[in-house]
Parts: sequence; C-alpha cells; structure tokens
Amino acid sequence: MLFRKLMAALASIVAIVLLILVGFLAIYAWPAIRFNGLHFLVKNNWSLGFLYSDPILRHGQQVMPGAHYGILFLIAGTLLSTAIAVLLAVPIGVGAALFLAEGVPALLRPWLSFFIELLAAIPSVVYGLWGLVVVIPFLGHHVFPAMQKWLGFIPFFRGPAGSGYGLLTSGLVLTLMIVPLITATLRDALVSQQSHLRDAALALGASRYEALWTVQLPGVRRVLIGSSILATGRALGETMAVLMVSGNALNVMPNNIYTTISTMASFIVSQLDSALTDPTGMAVKSLAEVALVLCLISIVVNSLARVLLLYQDRMTFGVI
Amino acid sequence: MPNATRNPPETGGGIDFGAALPGASGNETAAGRERIAVRNLNFYYGSHQVLFEVQETVHEHEILALIGPSGCGKSTFLRCLNRMNDTIPGSRLEGEVALDGRNIYGPGVDVIALRRRVGMIFQRSNPFPFTIAANVAYGLKVNGLARRRSEFEAVIERSLRAAGLWDEVKDRLDKPALSLSGGQQQRLCIARALAVEPEILLMDEPASALDPITTTRIEELAIELKARYSIVIVTHNLQQAARISDRTSFFLMGRVVETDATRKLFTNPSRQETEDYITGRFG
Repeated sequence: MLFRKLMAALASIVAIVLLILVGFLAIYAWPAIRFNGLHFLVKNNWSLGFLYSDPILRHGQQVMPGAHYGILFLIAGTLLSTAIAVLLAVPIGVGAALFLAEGVPALLRPWLSFFIELLAAIPSVVYGLWGLVVVIPFLGHHVFPAMQKWLGFIPFFRGPAGSGYGLLTSGLVLTLMIVPLITATLRDALVSQQSHLRDAALALGASRYEALWTVQLPGVRRVLIGSSILATGRALGETMAVLMVSGNALNVMPNNIYTTISTMASFIVSQLDSALTDPTGMAVKSLAEVALVLCLISIVVNSLARVLLLYQDRMTFGVI
Repeated sequence: MPNATRNPPETGGGIDFGAALPGASGNETAAGRERIAVRNLNFYYGSHQVLFEVQETVHEHEILALIGPSGCGKSTFLRCLNRMNDTIPGSRLEGEVALDGRNIYGPGVDVIALRRRVGMIFQRSNPFPFTIAANVAYGLKVNGLARRRSEFEAVIERSLRAAGLWDEVKDRLDKPALSLSGGQQQRLCIARALAVEPEILLMDEPASALDPITTTRIEELAIELKARYSIVIVTHNLQQAARISDRTSFFLMGRVVETDATRKLFTNPSRQETEDYITGRFG
C-alpha cells in the first residue's frame, strides 16, 4: 500500500513539475502577455526600446519608450529549421537503423552502433562550433552558390545565396544532432523484434527487402513515431548550436532557405543580457513569453504525435 | 565446400518450382508419393556442426513428427527444408534436400518460390501488427497472387475457414491481429500460411505455448490439413507425436537415430536410445 502510494507520488512529480513550469512562466510573463496582446505572434518588430531614457506608461504597463515585441520571425525560424531537420533526419535515421540492424556484418555492428551513440552524446556547443568553423565556409562558398545556380528554379532555393549562416545550415546541423537519436532507438527496436516477424514474412515468400519494408519497419512504427517526437522536441529547443550557425536574424522573415534566421530558444539566450538591463522588466517578461510559446508549440507537437499513435494501429500497408 | 549456402540470389529467373518433374515421383509408398528427400545433410553454425548425415523422406498426405531432446537439431533440420537457415550468418550446409526430385540448394533455385510451396508455422505465434485480414492477405500481396478486392476476400475467407478461425473472427476482420488470444493468433498464422497455397507445411512446435484445449484444436487442424498437404511437425510432446503423426523421426545430438511408422516407433522401437527416450529415461 505504502509502495503504491510512493510510486503514485513519484509518477505525479513529472506531471506536477510540468504544470509548475508552465504555470510559473505564464504568471511571470502575464504583464507581457497583457501588454503585447496578439501583436506578439503576428508582428516582426522586436525592440527593447530606448533603454537609457525613463519608463513610460502604455496600456497600463511600465515600459521603455519605443519598446515593442513581435516574434513572428522567431516562430517561423524555429518551425522551418525544425521541419528541415526532421524531414531530413527521419529518412536518414531509418536508413541508418535498417543498415545497422540488417545490412552490417555482425562483427562491425557494435562498433558502428557505438559511434552513432557517441554522436548523440556530443554536447551541442561542439556541433555549433564545428558548424561555424567547417560547415559554414564550405556551404557559403561552394554549396549554396551551386544550389542557387542549379536549383534556383525551385521557389525557396532562389535568391541571394548569403554567407553560409542561416536557415538551411541550422537545419543541417540540427539534422546531424537528431539523426543519432532516431537511429539508436530504432535500431534497438529492430534488433529486438526482427527475427520472428522477419521469419514469418520470409516463410510466406517475401524477399529480405519486402520483409524489411512491409513488416519489420511497420512493426517498429510506434518507436519511429516516438523517437521522431523526441527528435522534434530536441530540434525545437536546441539553443547553442543554432545560435552559432543561424546568423541571428532580427525582425526578418526567412524568404528562402539561405536566409539568416533566429529560433526562439537561441533568441532567448542571445537577448537575455540586453533584456536584463531593462529597468521595467518588460523585456525579460517578453522573453518569458517567448519561452511560453515555445513550450506550447512543443506540447502541441507532442499531442499531435499522440493522436497519430492512437490511429497508427489502423494503418496497414496497401489493400484491406 | 560443395553445395554450401553462400546464398544464391533469392529472386530472378531461377528454376521454376511450379511443376513436379516427370519421373520424380518414382518412390510411391503406401503413404503416398515421396515429396521431400533429404540425403547426407550436414549443417554447421560456423565451425559447430549441428546436423550429421541426416537422411529423411516426407511423403504426400502424411504427418511426419520430429522428436528428440532440446538442442538435438530437429528445429534446425526443419528450417533446412524451406531454407529459413539462409538468414543465419555463418551457417553452412552440405548434402541435398530434394523437393520433387530437385535439390533446393542447387544453383539457380528461386528461394521465394520454394518458401511459397513449403510454408512454415513457428513456435511463437507471430502475427504481423496489421489487421486480421491484412495478415492473411500478406502472402498474396507480396507474391502478387491476387489483385482485386474480391479475390483477396475469397482467399481470406477460405484460409480462415481452413484454419478453423472464420466463425470467431468474421465480424472483426479489420481489427488488429494482436487483439486475438494466443490460440487464435496461432490459428491465424496457420491461415496466413495456407493463403499462399503451400504444398508442404512445416510446424515448429506450433502448440507448445498454448493451453491443452487450444492444443487439441491445433492437432485436429493438422489432421484435417493432412488431406491436402504434407506436414512435418517438430514437437516436444511425445503424446502429441503419437496422437497425430503417421511416421516419427527420433533425433539425438544432430543425428537421426530412427525413423519409423509412429505406432511401431512408440511401441516397438528398433534402437535402445529411442526406447530410453520415449520411456522417459532421459530428455
């Protein structure tokens, strides 16, 4: 009885922590939410105002003159870079997991798996630094101009190729960071289920590839969806690596994949120092509102994925 | 290494297994035409030899039971008959397994066509995480045996009826197969195997994880299916072998000690080891 209660208490801690976190953010950011209204989500005009003059009263709130906070460009930058990363990482991760589970000689498998897990364990600042020093010059000097030239007929590949900092670079660095998450989880799932479902398919006259695509992969789709959610969460919230390669755009909407961007998480870090000098506190409260929006986006993404999990049992391949 | 299984390509225009060779069915016996003939079969996992010089035959319309203590090689032998061991890295086979007179380990053999003709039921029921209908339809679909919805529906009903499952599931064919009970899942696996119309069924301890009543159902089913198929069944359960099989083979440490008519083997075995095993002195 005591044990049950203890376990129930431990289990509810997680939920309580989440509630406290979101609740605290909401209460703390409440003056900013009142002050910013809907403008916060639909305008591109983040400005801390004249920090060296005296606060004025606007909409019943003490703020610095000229201060306004519109973060549409942050939402766009975050969602777009995450979308690029997830769209690239899911197929790469699935391919790598299939290869590790089925295609690799048994002797090599532990080594390759070890390296993949190592990739997941590298601190994000290392990815950021590597992106800054290696990836950006390479992309900026060679790849982006070539893409602009050859792929310019595709809408978002047109326009100035820029310096290498920006949306696509952020997406690529994020891809690299989340591929190991998907691969490692999916490989474990494949290795643990593979033989009995695979054998069943082979015994019915399926080829190795048919068995992989029609049975083994569908057999781990829950794991695939789950690990993709985790990976999406990581990409949405990634701070340091993106901060170092995104170009820290302010108040511009990305209009092609080379544009510099900012994401919500990295913006909070990059703005915090200045925001703390705002004597009215409205700047920090607005950053808290950014954090709140980021939390809500994550919650929405996770809930959508839950719904997907609920319906996935009905999915089969092909007819009937 | 002659006839070693450095797997020949699984697809492609290999030998057609669709029709028996004329003259291949020369060994007519009381039990029916000889379908599978195994000669001098040696099987290795790496350097470890699991089967030694195995000789065996399987006839039409008979149930051949393979008995023997754990690790004696009977499951490995069973999996040699439809080349399921091909998937095990480092495995190697010598000797010959002839289906209707043609060596299934010979060059240019279409393994996929072979496995369609020699179906398999596994110890652990392993339905796919699809609907009940999609499970039965799977073999048709990967082999391109049916196109129209009506064709699928006809085969699904026929297979489920043959496996004795139709009445229990006909109203919920679109429900997940994993929502069925253990015994129903195993019968679903049998229906799934029957859907591609195999000629020979390999059963690897199909009832070992099931309760006695369900086991009886599976046994009755095996006897019914005998009218249309040849069945090779691996079992730990000597009573089961005695109840359902026509002939029984006793495996010990990778060798066939004795193969005989089931009644004869259980009542008057020729070899001392067989008698020791069936009277429970070891194993």
